[in-house]
Amino acid sequence: MRSVRDWASLYAAFFRISLLANLQYRASGTIWMIGLVLEPLVFLVVWSTVARSEGGSVAGLDPRDLAAYYIALLVVNHLTFSWIMHTFEYRVRFGELGFELLRPIHPIHGDICDNVAYKLVMLIVLLPAVAVLTWLFEPRFAPDPGALALLVPALVLGLAVRLLLDWTLALAAFWTTRVTAINQTYFAIVLFLSGRVAPIALLPGWLQDVAGALPFYWTVAFPAELATGRVGFAAGLRGLAVQLVWVLAALGLISFGWRRSLRRFTAVGT
Amino acid sequence: MSEAETVIQVRALSKTYSVPVREPGVRAAVRSLFRRETRPVAAVREIELDVAPGEIVGFLGPNGAGKTTTLKMLAGLLHPSAGEARVLGFVPSERRHDFLRQITLVMGQRNQLVWDIPVADSFERNRAIYRLGPALFRSRLDELVALLELEPLLRKPVRNLSLGERMKCEVAAALLHQPRVLFLDEPTIGLDVTMQRRLRAFIAEYNQRTGATVLLTSHYMADVEALCRRVVVIHHGRILFDGALQDLVQRFSAHKTIVLELGPGEFDLRGYGEVVSQEPGRAALRVPKQATAKLTGRLLAELPVNDLTIADPPIEEVIDRVFSQEAV
Amino acid sequence: MSDLLDAARLFGVYFRLGLLNELAYRTNFWVQIVETLVNLSIVLGAVAVVFARTDTLGGWRPAELVALIGVYFIVLGMLNLVVSPSLSRFIEDVRTGALDFTLTKPVDAQLLVSIAEIRAWKLVDLLAGFGVLGGALLELATRIGALQALGFGVALLAGGAIVYSFWLMLATLAFWFIRVENILMIFLSMYTAGRWPVGIYPGWLRWLLTLVVPVAFAVTVPAEALTGRMQASELAGALGLAAALLLGSRAFWKRGLRHYSGASA
Repeated sequence: MRSVRDWASLYAAFFRISLLANLQYRASGTIWMIGLVLEPLVFLVVWSTVARSEGGSVAGLDPRDLAAYYIALLVVNHLTFSWIMHTFEYRVRFGELGFELLRPIHPIHGDICDNVAYKLVMLIVLLPAVAVLTWLFEPRFAPDPGALALLVPALVLGLAVRLLLDWTLALAAFWTTRVTAINQTYFAIVLFLSGRVAPIALLPGWLQDVAGALPFYWTVAFPAELATGRVGFAAGLRGLAVQLVWVLAALGLISFGWRRSLRRFTAVGT
Repeated sequence: MSEAETVIQVRALSKTYSVPVREPGVRAAVRSLFRRETRPVAAVREIELDVAPGEIVGFLGPNGAGKTTTLKMLAGLLHPSAGEARVLGFVPSERRHDFLRQITLVMGQRNQLVWDIPVADSFERNRAIYRLGPALFRSRLDELVALLELEPLLRKPVRNLSLGERMKCEVAAALLHQPRVLFLDEPTIGLDVTMQRRLRAFIAEYNQRTGATVLLTSHYMADVEALCRRVVVIHHGRILFDGALQDLVQRFSAHKTIVLELGPGEFDLRGYGEVVSQEPGRAALRVPKQATAKLTGRLLAELPVNDLTIADPPIEEVIDRVFSQEAV
Repeated sequence: MSDLLDAARLFGVYFRLGLLNELAYRTNFWVQIVETLVNLSIVLGAVAVVFARTDTLGGWRPAELVALIGVYFIVLGMLNLVVSPSLSRFIEDVRTGALDFTLTKPVDAQLLVSIAEIRAWKLVDLLAGFGVLGGALLELATRIGALQALGFGVALLAGGAIVYSFWLMLATLAFWFIRVENILMIFLSMYTAGRWPVGIYPGWLRWLLTLVVPVAFAVTVPAEALTGRMQASELAGALGLAAALLLGSRAFWKRGLRHYSGASA
């Protein structure tokens, strides 16, 4: 069993490598960021247009509230997203994963470091983008001070849920070749239920209920709403509890799925 | 040779590149943002060449000698910096379609075939590009398939072929339109020895059958030895030698090799010449050309010689020494 | 005229090659169907969510917006069918030297480069676009006259020409700079903004989407033609820009070729 000190030095080593690699790929990283920034920008404009034509606000959100929401969403999405599902099939099929399996460390740890390192490096691009958007759209942030204290744990838990869940679903690559189809369907669902197409309050009622029952809202929209002030301290605490439940559920899913997939991989190959 | 007899004429052809130059250090790096400093590099210097139809000419030279640059200028891919070239009566760099229809380019280790689909479909594509009628295409294809033994390969996707098989198909695709001039840039590079030999044999046969002119570059001596009666040695952008291969050895080699088979006993051969190798009963000496006759006489007189052979040094050795001369 | 026929013939040849290429991988077709369906669901789903809260978006009614989305898929389909894969391939060929093969063929190099790779299954996107457009037009049936249809066709062609020329100019940069494929990716990622009428965007973004990434001319203007919004001046502008860009991109391409072959400028 590894001690905390061992884990710390392991993560430090992985992190350093990831940092260097991500600095190398900053050009393609920046291009990815353009897409990342454009999406909330477009929906912000769309919903602001709707608000203006509906007398200034829609479901109680006026353009400045919407601006705050989408800017917060941009940052939260950047901090919590993962691209594991995009590349997993390639790693399994072309052998890289085979090497990682030989190490006495679960491959997810390298992925975590890679993920965090990328986000840190890309802050160089994100922060100016956020500054510009703030200047252009005059967002209205009115967070509950207590809720702000919950922001960091909410982000960490949100990242944990997304990483674990994505990793579990990525395991489908061991079982089928139709991974792209699964991935794309999943991304579409996530798009709607994590509040990126529209703030959850703007979705039809039944869809709001579905969103509350699934983890996606809790990983992205919930921390964003903590930052904008739509969710207060008490609701925030409840939300953290929900996130915790999902983290545990995801851990269970991933360990179950991993054991089965590993057995299949070593017995059958791909 | 008169104009009518040559298919390629090259006069004072030169190619100079501007290569960016940067001193090390931060100051120079900043300066380079505003002003690009370049240094001219002469890749080809004032070469003259005439090639008759049906000749196979080998351009031989080390890497960076200028042979690929020359080939590319003749194929129209590069504009000359000075001088002029004419191929089939055209100026290559104008890249007229009538000119391009009569030439072909084959580059070693680079594919023009489409990767994932059967070879036959790539051939179809070339047929469309060169606008070959179905009957003509059919007959040419059959001929190439027979000559290169391509029948089992036609249905396979290119990615499933070995390197040698791929090269055969590349060559076939390049010849479907029966070009009059073939430009082959290092065609045998990376291939195993058997495949190299097969390819050379094919090129020789193709040249026989169709009378196509072949220009090929290589740094393999074996290519040139097997195929080319005429060798052009290029080094540092200049032609060092243009003529028959045997003449090359004559011209550039100042030495001969004497191989001796000796009776029993220990002999000190250093007084006769440079000892290349020596074992009991056998020795090889390297001696200056002019001294060969006299030395042979002495050896036969003074040593128990069972057999004696006088040979030219291996061509590789000659070429190596030619190339290692910095300025000729 | 015969040049145009030759080009069409060659396009057919390369299309067949592209089809064969795709057929070499049996799952590609189904992957494409799923991808198109998912993309359609996302876009139409977003529209549904928006119109649950309002009747018009920037003056566009639901059926009109769906028509715009149809045009978006048509243009995206064309882009992903030919332009994007071929010009990406060209950029790689410059790097590997395989471009030399293209340049020794007796066919105009720009043509060969532009049709080199055809992703045949992107036809599904095209068909989906026409399907969606057709459905939307049925809703608006009373309003489409022959003149409008003509205006739409012209606007679509002009938009296509503008997008192609833009991409060609970007790709031509590969003659000078190596890492150009990144720039192409930027444009592709900005394209998603074209799903909504360009008029709703704030001025600076609208300007960006008209002149820097020509989404407006490709998608919004043809859709405006169909929904009776387009003025003659806009169409004239689109045509003028298309002509200018086609000529300009060809001139730039030739310049690039000369640089590649070391001709003095």
